[in-house]
Amino acid sequence: MDTVETTTPRPHQENAAPRPVGESVTRLDAHEKVTGEAVFADDLQFGPNMLYARIKRSPHPHARILKIDASQALALPGVKTVVTGQSTPGFIGLYLKDRHIFCTDRARFVGDPVAGVAAVTEEIAERALDLIHVEYEVLPPVLDPEDGVRPDAELLHPELGSYEVANFIFPQPGTNIPNLFKIRKGDVDQALSEAAAVVHHTFRVPHVQHVPIEPHVAIAKVDERGRVTLWGSSQSPFAQRNLIASALGISQADLEVVAPYVGGGFGCKAGVSMEALAVAIAMQVRGRPVKLRLTREEEFYTTFVRQGLVAHFTMACDAEGNLTAMDNKFYWDGGAYAEYGVNMTRGAGYSSSGPYDVPNVRTDSFCVYTNHPVGGPMRGFGQPEMQCGLEQCINHLALEIGMDPMDFRRRNCVKEGSNLVTGMKMHATGIGECIEKAAEAIGWGHKDPPSAPHKRRGKGIAAMWKAPAMSPNAGSSAWIEMSEDGKCTLGLGGQELGQGTFTVMAQMAAATLGIPYDWVRIASPVDTKYSPYEWQTVASRLTWSMGNAVVAAAKDARRQILELVARSWEETPEDLDIVNGNVISAKSGRSSSLKGLVVYGLAKPGDQGWIGGPILGRGSFMPTYVTGLDPETGQGQRAVVHYTTGAQAVEVEVDLETGRVQVLRGASAFDMGKAINPDLVNVQMEGGLVQGISTALFECLQLKDGVVRNPSFVDYRIATSADAPRDMQSIIVEVPQDDGPFGARGVGEHSMVPTMPAIANAIHDALGIHPGAPPFTAEKVYLAMVDAGLVK
Amino acid sequence: MAHHKISVTVNGSVESVDVPSNMTLLTMLREKLGLTGTKNGCTAGECGACTVFLNGEPVNSCLVLAVECDGAEVRTVESLARNGQLDPIQQSVIDHNAVQCGFCTPGVLISARALLDRNPDPTEEEIRDALVGNLCRCTGYIRILDAVKDAARVGAAPGTGGSR
Amino acid sequence: MREAHPGLPDFDYVRPADLEEASRFLAQNPQTARPFMGGTDTFVRLRDGFWKETRYLVDVKNLDGRSEITFDPQKGLTVGAAVSMNQVVANPRVGSHYSLLAQAAHRVASYQLRTRATLVGNVCNASPAGDTLGACLLFGGVLRVHGVEGFRDEPLASFFQGPGRTALKPGDIVTAIRFPLPVPGSVGHYEKLGRNLLSDLAIVGVTVLGHPDSSTASGYRFHLALASVGPVPVVLPDLLTQAPVTPEALEEAAGQAMESCHPIDDVRGSARYRKLMVRNLSRRALTRVWEGLQSGYRGE
Repeated sequence: MDTVETTTPRPHQENAAPRPVGESVTRLDAHEKVTGEAVFADDLQFGPNMLYARIKRSPHPHARILKIDASQALALPGVKTVVTGQSTPGFIGLYLKDRHIFCTDRARFVGDPVAGVAAVTEEIAERALDLIHVEYEVLPPVLDPEDGVRPDAELLHPELGSYEVANFIFPQPGTNIPNLFKIRKGDVDQALSEAAAVVHHTFRVPHVQHVPIEPHVAIAKVDERGRVTLWGSSQSPFAQRNLIASALGISQADLEVVAPYVGGGFGCKAGVSMEALAVAIAMQVRGRPVKLRLTREEEFYTTFVRQGLVAHFTMACDAEGNLTAMDNKFYWDGGAYAEYGVNMTRGAGYSSSGPYDVPNVRTDSFCVYTNHPVGGPMRGFGQPEMQCGLEQCINHLALEIGMDPMDFRRRNCVKEGSNLVTGMKMHATGIGECIEKAAEAIGWGHKDPPSAPHKRRGKGIAAMWKAPAMSPNAGSSAWIEMSEDGKCTLGLGGQELGQGTFTVMAQMAAATLGIPYDWVRIASPVDTKYSPYEWQTVASRLTWSMGNAVVAAAKDARRQILELVARSWEETPEDLDIVNGNVISAKSGRSSSLKGLVVYGLAKPGDQGWIGGPILGRGSFMPTYVTGLDPETGQGQRAVVHYTTGAQAVEVEVDLETGRVQVLRGASAFDMGKAINPDLVNVQMEGGLVQGISTALFECLQLKDGVVRNPSFVDYRIATSADAPRDMQSIIVEVPQDDGPFGARGVGEHSMVPTMPAIANAIHDALGIHPGAPPFTAEKVYLAMVDAGLVK
Repeated sequence: MAHHKISVTVNGSVESVDVPSNMTLLTMLREKLGLTGTKNGCTAGECGACTVFLNGEPVNSCLVLAVECDGAEVRTVESLARNGQLDPIQQSVIDHNAVQCGFCTPGVLISARALLDRNPDPTEEEIRDALVGNLCRCTGYIRILDAVKDAARVGAAPGTGGSR
Repeated sequence: MREAHPGLPDFDYVRPADLEEASRFLAQNPQTARPFMGGTDTFVRLRDGFWKETRYLVDVKNLDGRSEITFDPQKGLTVGAAVSMNQVVANPRVGSHYSLLAQAAHRVASYQLRTRATLVGNVCNASPAGDTLGACLLFGGVLRVHGVEGFRDEPLASFFQGPGRTALKPGDIVTAIRFPLPVPGSVGHYEKLGRNLLSDLAIVGVTVLGHPDSSTASGYRFHLALASVGPVPVVLPDLLTQAPVTPEALEEAAGQAMESCHPIDDVRGSARYRKLMVRNLSRRALTRVWEGLQSGYRGE
């Protein structure tokens, strides 16, 4: 055991966060990602015993399945099994169990899995699909959420009333409405009748796709006793374990999910989408790994999509520019199954005032079943779609009463103590500062000349807020295990999707423990058998929730170390600290390296035995204070854990000859409480802004009669290296979160929430035209200019 | 379907591989040679995650048949670092936080290396143009552009990376 | 719904020893054999489930003398069938005499795709959205074709018959495309409108080539070709010859381009928008060329 005696005094910093929190250290995963060594799910090797799966899918948006004849497929050499809904009768779903793994009696969207094949090669499996003959009775589809709520609408889930559902989701049995969330605050009708200005707009926001560059892939293996191992590209290893085990009627302890690096998720790899298919197929070919990987085309129409939204806003203010009322109706296109999407409906409802203090609010947020692809979580969880319209209305209202839209937002934005739409009191927030700084960063109030005579420039701003939308008691846990040389391995169940969570967790662990950052290793890949529980990597909740668990685990390890050394040195733990990997006594000046003692303990004097033992720190965190909301009014004590707020401002230039909108510059300002790694926060803001620009200008899943007409990169365009604006400013605002680690709260999703309306408002500033719903394609903008008489 | 015995130099080593007619270079690299650094993002030549050097020029390996590579020279992301020394473009991507999920990164690195090999001092427009076939959903691209610009400033140390 | 396969369907790869063998094989298997060069369109279409009957892919790019660009100051330019788009873009002879061709080739997809994509392949693919078709047509391109009966020439002017349909017959292999010398003083411009700035297919593409001409009343002659607004490229030859070239005349010619095309609605754009863009982009391209003719601009 190495013990170094020194007299170096302990450096003491009371105010600053301990290093390396607040420093832009290099990402932990960067090196292996630039060398090609980083392992993603499709890179795992399973040897020649592995089978390949392909899925037979419904070509109809809505149909009864009369008969499935797989005999020809089964006769094809190389085919090992064909699986249909008969083998998986159970229901699956996160908030509402409304989905079978394979369709049983009916198919509800084009792409709905009807049967699965496992064969010795992917080609044979694919060929077998043509040999499965399915007889359908085509049923009338529901293709618009406003049609879906009509009393005479075709019922897509007649069994809705019998589905198992979380207690904060309110399905309406006998309808196509799997959730209806209502807000009733104040007297909206009275406020509207007294208003100085009222605006009303409807927005039809289209479906978009997440488009991670890595497609979904899952490999499942079931042993002879029915124990399951699932390897996959997953944001939610633990939720998948739970949901799939429940659907199959096996113990969660008998389902192991192994989740290597995720090549981009943005929500589409949360919950369960295609993974259960691989497991269900593997059940029939025990002992053999079965790999299912989706084609890029399948990515576009068979996995979660960002729901479409039809939103009606009526908004009013008084003559001084104080918002007085909002009357909102949202119809979410939940798609064929709403197991996850129902909570977007709720999130949009409890945030339906936008980040504003509004005394009178009435909101009806309907989730509606349609025969469209399945709506699921996507970066922003409903807020980009909802706030796209809301923030355009705010702009319009400000202009209507002759106020600068920035000043109007500044005046009305929520402040600490504001009474929110749910009755919850707002915590301290930096939104005002975010609005001002974002506006200032793009030279708000100055109009620069366009770059050519046939172009026009405009500036726009939008504010935002978003709370982690999740189960109220979503938990996190972590452990820290010390190695002989004093370095440590940090166990966690949250997933590295590219957002840098492994890095910031290592920073928090190092800072709390008192060791250098590069002494921390992450126990990866996440494996539900060995990793500690984490609800899901969603909702921008990891820095806050898992961070709290990591800090608790590090504190636990630190306490054990200090108690051990204190005992050995006959001092009190309170006089000791761990600095840069050494235990130091402020009282005696003694110092000792962590080497050895964290595993072997310490010898008593005179070879009289030992004290201590291997150090294992553990920590967990779960919010316990979120309360239910009244189903009729949406009122309650505390709807959410907290809100992250912020704003974006952009300058655009519109080409009057083509309608093309180019974003010249954008500024993002968000209040994440504390930036654990400022540059990782900056790149989240940049990446989110460009993803936001991409959805604002290009992206739209073109659905016609339930069929996605552009399921490829050829016709579903996303922003490329040519489309990103050079001038992107990221502004960090830090108003601490009372229960966040080092004051931090999440910021991953937020940076694409205000982008669409900021661009829409800038287009309005340039042209005087309200562009409405995205995408603001060159065609849409040009034809709007023609219709407005601006060009011919 | 016919199989073909081909000989192909991959990352400097001569490989003899038996490939069916319809196998792509991408599949051969990943499934026959275990070189999984090259990624499959779309199988249609649109996303660029599978970009490798073929006879010194970047190609979408999903749109090249393995059998066409008989006698050819292929280099993948695994060849960029030599003896533990990163290629300047790799180091620059790390330094600029130009990697997030990392799935597009191998293809981006090959496209960037290819650009710097043919144009050691590219303008920003030239960098954007050279990378337009490498889709990235995480970074917002600007960090990648900056990383390429800086790597150009550093230049390539002799004997590292590239297709020379 | 397009049901793209995870990989390529079954086929046999065939590499003939020479052109005769290649033509013979293709002619003997007219339904089941397809020639390919860079493969950038072929593989995508095969994977997408087009050409279900394909059993043989015949690699015709490694046959003799097809990977070169040659320039003869008297006869003009010859681009071998295996010459990639990137080689076209980078070639100094192309740049100095046919810069419009380089400009159009540069607008095809991405750099790594252009490593494999060929100019001749782009022409033979006969996509209405093909970026280089306009330039090839306006430069008077003639294909050198090897068929079962030997070599012949196919002028591009009569080559395109519909989307993906051309004058080629089973057994035909294009070995090169030749362009005569451009009229001295020619200036060209390609104006492409995609959904995002680069790499997209054209919603509308307008190619313009103009040159001084002492035989016309205006002293100039302009030719214009349109992409993505009909089943085959639309060519408007001999524009702006009658009266002095003025902004009004350019506008009128642009209107003529708009009236001459009959686009359809598809996922990339509506017919209404396309027509308006044909007018606006034709005006833009014609104006660029006109300015170039006056200032010595030779196109990008």
